[in-house]
Amino acid sequence: MTQAEFLTRLRRALAGTPPGAAEEIVRDYESHFREGLAAGRSEAEVAASLGDPDRLGREHRAEQGLRRWEAQRTPSAAFGALAGVVGLGAFDILVVAPVVTSLGSVVLTLMLAAFGCVFGGLFVGVFGLLTGMPGAPAVPLLLSLGLMSFGVCVGSLGVLAAAGLIRAGLWWARVHLRLVEPGTGPLSGALS
Amino acid sequence: MPDAADIQLRKGVLELCVLALLSRGDSYAYEIAARVPTEIGMAEGTVYPLMRRLQTDGLVETYLVESASGPSRKYYRLTQAGRAAVSARAAAFTALAGAVRRLIGDAA
Repeated sequence: MTQAEFLTRLRRALAGTPPGAAEEIVRDYESHFREGLAAGRSEAEVAASLGDPDRLGREHRAEQGLRRWEAQRTPSAAFGALAGVVGLGAFDILVVAPVVTSLGSVVLTLMLAAFGCVFGGLFVGVFGLLTGMPGAPAVPLLLSLGLMSFGVCVGSLGVLAAAGLIRAGLWWARVHLRLVEPGTGPLSGALS
Repeated sequence: MPDAADIQLRKGVLELCVLALLSRGDSYAYEIAARVPTEIGMAEGTVYPLMRRLQTDGLVETYLVESASGPSRKYYRLTQAGRAAVSARAAAFTALAGAVRRLIGDAA
């Protein structure tokens, strides 16, 4: 593999990383090639000794994603981190995926039910008031408010559950893939 | 082809070895990459994500050294936290290695 091929594949594997960080990373590898060539090695030798650029790119992406999550705990940073980690731990994920999918489906269903309740409540209220349902206006209003509140409540629980799932996912990634925090490796205080 | 568990084990050790190397003197990426990973059966390139992570974790910091022939070189040195980490982890590793050796006994 030539230097150009290596860097092209690396850049492709880095897709999704902020451009500033990606360029910094590529520059480090360019320096590596420069030093290697100056030491008398060929481009092919240096490229081979560096390893698989696709895998290296994925490791960098995962590292960047977790960096961003630690700096700003936003939902998008969470998904970025998870996406990076998933790319890296593809094989391990095959075992955990069914569990995560099931839990995710439950949360999704909860959210859909919540939306259903909210809109159903709204519908009942409007429909009940307009068509003069027996007991109007009190019954449809109370029913409506009740359904909507219930929907909001279930929806909030769903959001909490989703946040919990994401946190659990990242914890799993730390323990399993050792991408973050010196404190979770086998050579750390975890031994004591 | 080393399996996933094997790779994870080596990755953990790589970090300790790189930190230990830096505790004996500042170094630059190419030198680190040439001296450490291959000794423990890893590709040289794995040093680069590691150095970025060590920086994020505040264990190392970088500085540039001007070069007469070409662009300046990025050097790495340990921070206070980095020095503390080396001693702690080297001790933990020694303890672990000792225990494992005793447990393995004559198996190897």
